[in-house]
Amino acid sequence: MDNLATLNIMITIFAVMAGICGIVMLLAKQPLTSALGLLGVLLFTAGIYGLIGEHFIATIQLVVYAGAIMVLFIFSIMLFNLKSNEHDARRKMPLLIGSLAVAGGVFGLLVATILKYFETPLALASPGSFSRQTISDLGGNSLVLAHSLFTQHFISFEAISLALLIALVGAVVLAKRRFE
Amino acid sequence: MDTFILIEIVAKIVFVFAVCLGVVPLLVWFERRGSAWIQGRVGPNRVGPFGLIQPVADVAKFFFKEFWTPANANKWYYHLAPIFALVAPMAAMTIIPFGSHLVIGDYIINLQVARVDSGVLFILAFAGLEVYPIIIAGWSSNNKYSILGALRGASQIISYEISMGLALLSILLVYGTFDLHKMVEWQNQRFFGFLPAWGVLVNPIGALIFWVSTFAETNRLPFDLPEGDSEIVAGYHLEYGAMKFALFFMAEYVAMIMASALMCTLFFGGYNLLPGMHALVDLIVSVHGFAEAGRQNATAILQFLSFFLKVSFFMVVMIWVRWTLPRFRFDQVVNLGWKILFPLALCNVVIVSIVMYSMN
Repeated sequence: MDNLATLNIMITIFAVMAGICGIVMLLAKQPLTSALGLLGVLLFTAGIYGLIGEHFIATIQLVVYAGAIMVLFIFSIMLFNLKSNEHDARRKMPLLIGSLAVAGGVFGLLVATILKYFETPLALASPGSFSRQTISDLGGNSLVLAHSLFTQHFISFEAISLALLIALVGAVVLAKRRFE
Repeated sequence: MDTFILIEIVAKIVFVFAVCLGVVPLLVWFERRGSAWIQGRVGPNRVGPFGLIQPVADVAKFFFKEFWTPANANKWYYHLAPIFALVAPMAAMTIIPFGSHLVIGDYIINLQVARVDSGVLFILAFAGLEVYPIIIAGWSSNNKYSILGALRGASQIISYEISMGLALLSILLVYGTFDLHKMVEWQNQRFFGFLPAWGVLVNPIGALIFWVSTFAETNRLPFDLPEGDSEIVAGYHLEYGAMKFALFFMAEYVAMIMASALMCTLFFGGYNLLPGMHALVDLIVSVHGFAEAGRQNATAILQFLSFFLKVSFFMVVMIWVRWTLPRFRFDQVVNLGWKILFPLALCNVVIVSIVMYSMN
């Protein structure tokens, strides 16, 4: 068995596991099970990123989503001891049909795009300036990313961090008003 | 795939995991004998010479206990938590370099299981995952004490992760790379011709903060709030017995090995030879008449030995601290984390970046 076939099998296994976790997240009755299902989706996607050689994105996915955001989710679920809700939005028929239609539309678009480029993936059909060889020649993925982030995209990087700060301050202001 | 490469990868994985899990019983023995010695007791001395076989007796006992699950526990999560607890630190062990490289025939064997491009971040990722077993175990046991332990554990680990991350950032500024191999090579240079350029000499405050944070991250005393025997019985693993408790126990020791190995790699020269070992390499080479490859292999083996000795030293200190210092109260832990270590780490990052900028 050659290298690429093994890789394909591994990616397929990870993708199927991520899909199963996603279904668990949607159908679970307990909030904690939902949260852990989402955690599973994030972990298996990180695994796929790692398998295709994008170690930096895989690690960031683990640090930011699995290590920080999901911990906060689960921590607050545990702290407020949320139980399964009988009057769930899931049980209202019109809402269910509407959300299914939107989700189905997005899923259909994704499948159509994938099938269109199935034979020649977009990345191979029109390669950008960063091939895998140039990246490793330049000193690795994280170095190249850091360079472009702090030179070419510096203004947008700082603008996004400002936007996050504004969101943070806004959340504090809203929360304070409710308690007073 | 080349058969040799496949064998190489499997052999490295087996080697790292075997060393980790093989050191755990020894550490447990040392913890019990060492605590007895510090407290003026005798300690376990009946099974084997100096009680060295005691861990075997412990494991046998763990295996033959009743496999018991509390009635109101959430079964699936209850069984998941101990597995998760052991997996996270074991996975992080894969990127610790334990030697430069071996030469066998035409092949060069890099002594590190996975050479990940974003090495140090990978460790942070798995340190972040170490919260989950505590939360899941505490929540699924359906016990007030367990939930309290889980909440304490989560807040403690999240608080100290921040200062740990900032301490890592300050030393990353010095090395200018994520790659642990390159960090160790950087530390191979000499200050003033004789002093090894270990990270701790460049960035002592960062090393201290990182070290304190690893104590909190591994839930070792004086930061044992998630367990807190005198307050919440045993905290998050109160409802666990037999082998499932043993898995938590092993996970604590593997996390200790991981923290010590990281401390050693980042701040104490990693696998670089200890002072005086270069002469030993020369002696071995001259006695056996080795060529270049043989010299490299002898160096690599001695490098592993010095790495092992350094890591052992840090593990011994961790045990020593546990039985010497009294435990903190919860508010003291949170104050230390947020009011002392966090500002100190932030100042340290600013100072280190100013110094590094002015030096370039």
